[in-house]
Amino acid sequence: MRQTSDKFKANVTAALQRPNLRVALNRTTTLLQTRRAGVIADFPEYEEVRDAGQRIKDHTLENLDHYLVEFEKNAIASGAKVHWASTPKEATDTILEICKAHDAKSVTRVKSMLGEEIGIGEALAANGIERVETDLAEHIIQLAGDPPSHIVMPAMHKTHEDVAELFRRKHAEPPESDDVGELVESARRELRPKYVSADIGISGANFIVADTGSVVTVTNEGNAELTTAPPRVHIVNVGIEKLVPTTEHCSVFIRLLARAALGTEITQYTTFHNGPKRLGDLDGPEEMHIVLVDNRRTEMLADFLRPMLRCIRCGACMNHCPVYGAIGGHAYGGVYPGPMGSVLTPAMTSLKQAGDLPNACTLNGRCKEVCPVNIPLPDLMRRLREKQWRENLTPRSFRFGLGVWAFAVRRPWLYRLGSRVGVGVMRLLAGRRGRLSILPGAGGWTRHRNLPAPEGATFMQQYKRVKRGARGNGEA
Amino acid sequence: MSDRSNEARAAILGRIRSALGRGPLDAERIVRERQALLPSVETLQPKFDDLSNRQRFIARATSERLTATVDEVSDMPSAVTAVYRYLQRLKLETRIALPPMPRLRDLDWSDIEVHHDITPNEPVAVGLADYAIAETGTLVFTSRPESPTLFNYMPLHHVILVEAATILRYMEDYWGIVRRQGNVHPRNTNFITGTSGTADIEAKNIRGAHGPRYMHIVIVGEDARVES
Repeated sequence: MRQTSDKFKANVTAALQRPNLRVALNRTTTLLQTRRAGVIADFPEYEEVRDAGQRIKDHTLENLDHYLVEFEKNAIASGAKVHWASTPKEATDTILEICKAHDAKSVTRVKSMLGEEIGIGEALAANGIERVETDLAEHIIQLAGDPPSHIVMPAMHKTHEDVAELFRRKHAEPPESDDVGELVESARRELRPKYVSADIGISGANFIVADTGSVVTVTNEGNAELTTAPPRVHIVNVGIEKLVPTTEHCSVFIRLLARAALGTEITQYTTFHNGPKRLGDLDGPEEMHIVLVDNRRTEMLADFLRPMLRCIRCGACMNHCPVYGAIGGHAYGGVYPGPMGSVLTPAMTSLKQAGDLPNACTLNGRCKEVCPVNIPLPDLMRRLREKQWRENLTPRSFRFGLGVWAFAVRRPWLYRLGSRVGVGVMRLLAGRRGRLSILPGAGGWTRHRNLPAPEGATFMQQYKRVKRGARGNGEA
Repeated sequence: MSDRSNEARAAILGRIRSALGRGPLDAERIVRERQALLPSVETLQPKFDDLSNRQRFIARATSERLTATVDEVSDMPSAVTAVYRYLQRLKLETRIALPPMPRLRDLDWSDIEVHHDITPNEPVAVGLADYAIAETGTLVFTSRPESPTLFNYMPLHHVILVEAATILRYMEDYWGIVRRQGNVHPRNTNFITGTSGTADIEAKNIRGAHGPRYMHIVIVGEDARVES
């Protein structure tokens, strides 16, 4: 997909002017937060499982070369073909070669974030191969021509009214009403024939298992199996960090993933795929290809971003992020939105291009709290900001402002004077309402909401007053 | 493998080794370490000490989220009657798709018309699960010539027979069985928990997205004897 992270500020301004977007985001993230909280409350072992998840991922990353080779050996033993790709281009070239070797006209696809990373949609389109997205949300955004706005629910930016209008224009047998059930039924009718007529099915993987060579897909819709069983060929594109050592280790993550992502114990369909159709099997692909993709993960492994490779792509961080909740996924301009995207996008593109992302964060820490594998997202963003400063990527106005602040803060009398004047001016401007609708230099804030004026005096003024009072009472 | 793939393989493994800053690995140490990560799997599993496997399985399968219905019978011939009952109750045609599994095919289906292939708009398919998992209300299917994958994904109504003795407590118990049999895996192991659903439009749960919209489970026979 086209990266627009360098236009983050303009994207945000545009997003904030779409009232429908806030409605859609609010309806969905609120529900997901409530469901997640409920299912975690019912699982007293959660913290222990989460720590185990972190330890397993760290162990796998520390031995990643060993596990990749073990996976390769076992996948080949199950009859699959394993390909390696350092870059997105190498990955799409490999996939296109397989498509061409089979003279593929039509491909069904189960959503995968890795597929988005390597730009599989664009690569197929450029080569005249029809791509049918089978995940309902991907089907919606494919019809709308939109990029995904959330990693688990790519059509989160659409209200059901938007979807109804879209299906009425695009479906062969359109829905009869705006009812969500009718909309789902309409998509079922539309997609059913396409599953069986496709030449190739492409999927990602939620996990790959080293000691069995298994590729694991997790869905609620059942579209992974309907995409991979009927066609002659199944191609898997997967990032090298998705490895787990054994099926037992995988069960730990299966318990974590659905709880974090959707607030349920398990998704409806969890499938372990092991190679192509066996002798006598009545269905299943004749060939299975697995493309292992790096796309700069090995660079992350080498530096302070290594914990990010624990990520299992649940999306909980974005569901709980106030910034995501206000601006939605598109504004981030990369494959991965929200807090995880603010770390991954600079790592996969460049900090220069995506420099606004790690700064679009209030550091409230919710993302870290809800992360099922304990990724310290706020710390990683802070480290990225430091790196920006060191590499002189921070905007000049920001460096100047920080310079002024640093000058004052090292001279306490000046800092106290400055904050006293500031508080006084803000209270004067706010008048009796106690809220500011205009504040010079803070238009970005006041355009969309009022700024509460300071209630009392500065901290130092209050501190002195309390100290004086305490002394008066003879307690200090 | 193509030259490109070979080169990428060498490059990726090289970058990993330099990122981790170490030499060759001791495979035995890795196996020891990874086993130590799961010291006692019990601490990582949700507890339901007050319920038997059957009780927990039924509670989960019939929960609001999974939406399945459950019938319990004593033996396989009575399971056929239970399937017939389900078709009657829902006023469905007495016609089913049945995987070519001898244990199912050889039952007396005389009141029901049976066929052994499956089409995208199949109204009803009846299957036999290899195992079930109590923790989550999950059914386990393994692909093989007599058990094709698509029978579990194409129909609108999925009717599943499962023998009570094959209801395991946790997913790890299933892996234990596979491991004891040599850790050999079929092309597909499908863990199926309830009906096909989607929450892609405003996070509203809707059933029958692509796969089955209705699930009916018939538990057959007695529970496995618990050895004390």
